[in-house]
This record gives sequence, structure tokens and C-alpha cells, in this order.
Amino acid sequence: MAADEFTALLEPALSRAYTLALHLTRNPADAEDLVQDAALLAYRGFGTFERGTNFRAWFLRIVTNTFLSARRKKRPETDAVSLDDPPNAYLQRQALDRIADAGSLADGLSGGDVVRAVVEGLDAEQVSRAIGELPDEFRAVASLYFLDDLSYQQIADTLAIPVGTVRSRLHRGRALLQQRLWRMAEDYGLVSSALAGRRQA
Amino acid sequence: MSPLSLDCKETFRRLDDYLDRELTPEEQAAVARHLEICAGCAGEFAVEGRLLDALKAKLRRIAAPAGLLDRIAARIAAER
Repeated sequence: MAADEFTALLEPALSRAYTLALHLTRNPADAEDLVQDAALLAYRGFGTFERGTNFRAWFLRIVTNTFLSARRKKRPETDAVSLDDPPNAYLQRQALDRIADAGSLADGLSGGDVVRAVVEGLDAEQVSRAIGELPDEFRAVASLYFLDDLSYQQIADTLAIPVGTVRSRLHRGRALLQQRLWRMAEDYGLVSSALAGRRQA
Repeated sequence: MSPLSLDCKETFRRLDDYLDRELTPEEQAAVARHLEICAGCAGEFAVEGRLLDALKAKLRRIAAPAGLLDRIAARIAAER
């Protein structure tokens, strides 16, 4: 039965597809609707799926295209992207600055220690929300990158954009993501805790 | 021809592409050679690599809502 085969393949791909939809729509209810609509489209087109190839990648492509197609009908892209890009390895840069500011109080603390405290302190939903907050043009690229082990070329094929565009959007998107994660970590006191932990040790 | 040689700045510019294995084999090898002799860059690359792995692992743990597969199966059944 095609339906049974389809749902058997869909089940292990569903959580990643939902997370991708969450990043794209920025809303749990819309994310579920998007996954359902994409699943129905995928089922109708299941005859074109090449057996033995990566079903999850195929389905994530359909989720992305279903979202982009619906959005094109609704409105053009409106997110403005600041020209003031953060540098890459943003978390490490900020961590090292804070350690330098703390002077001898942070003796022995490395940038890596602070980065690890930040990442361990943020939960999956918070990291997911930070990706969802990225401007439109970076969100789909970053989400596909983090959720599946796709090459730049595979992401380019999925989004029908040049591979050079994937590279630049991914690099900037990663830097912007790190900037957001750092702000979250500051807001939640994770950075201060990392530095204070060293002081107490 | 001598192999490509990179300084710290040139190496750091290739950080993202190196971690994603998206450099040419020659550039990938040149970055690896620099990391072998430069502890500072090697440390920064290692932190960045662990950061990316940790973020991927966290995001891949998010579960779809309970019952979503059943709701999809019901819509598929209604189509048939």
C-alpha cells in the first residue's frame, strides 16, 4: 500500500520537518498546518520519489517549497537586513571580550568555557526560537543546514538558488544566530554565571 | 608547485567552509596544515566545531506534536 509505505517513511522525518516548519512560520499552529499540507502534497507526488534515496531530504524540500509558495502569494519579503553584520565566531569574540573585561577575576577561563556554558544553558526551544528570529532570507538556509546534513549544493538545489548565495547566506546567518544566542545568554544571566562560577571556584 | 600556505587571517576567513568541508581539497589541506602548527587557530576552530555540533544536536531533539502523524494519515485516508 502506497499510503502505508509513505507514512512509514514520513514518521522518522516528521520531527525535523516540524522543526523546519517552526523556523519558517515562527508559530507552532502554522508549523503544524504547513507540515500537514506538505505531507499531503508529498503523498500526491509520492510516485516521483525515487525509492532508496533520502526521503527526509525530499520531504524537507517539499516543506520548504510549500512555505515559500504560500508566502509568495501572500506578501513579498519585507525583512530588512542590517548592513552591520556581526563577525564570524561571534560567541567566541564576545566571550573573550568579557573575559578580558573581568581581568584577573576570570583567570584561567577560556573563550571555549564561556561558549560551552552559553550553549549548555540554552534549551532546544530557545535555540530554535533564535533561528526563527533570523530574517527571511537566512532562515530557510540556516534551518536546513542545522536540521539535516546537507551540502551547500543540496541546500541550493532545495531552494533553487545559486550555491554562492547559500554560502553567503549561511555564513551571515550563522553569525546573526550567534549574535542572537549571545543576547539571549546575556538576558538569562548565563554569561555572568559562567564568569561568576570561575570566581567562586 | 609548493603547497598553498595560509596565515592566521587567511585561515580564519575559511573557518565556516572548513568546518562544513566545503573548501577545495587543496584549501582544506592548507587549513589543516595551519591548524597543526598554530595552537591559537586550532583552539578557535575546535570551539566553533563543538558549538555547531551542540546546536545541531539540540535542534534535532525537538519532537513533532503528539498525534501529528495520525492527523496526516487521516487526511491521506480522506483523499483516497
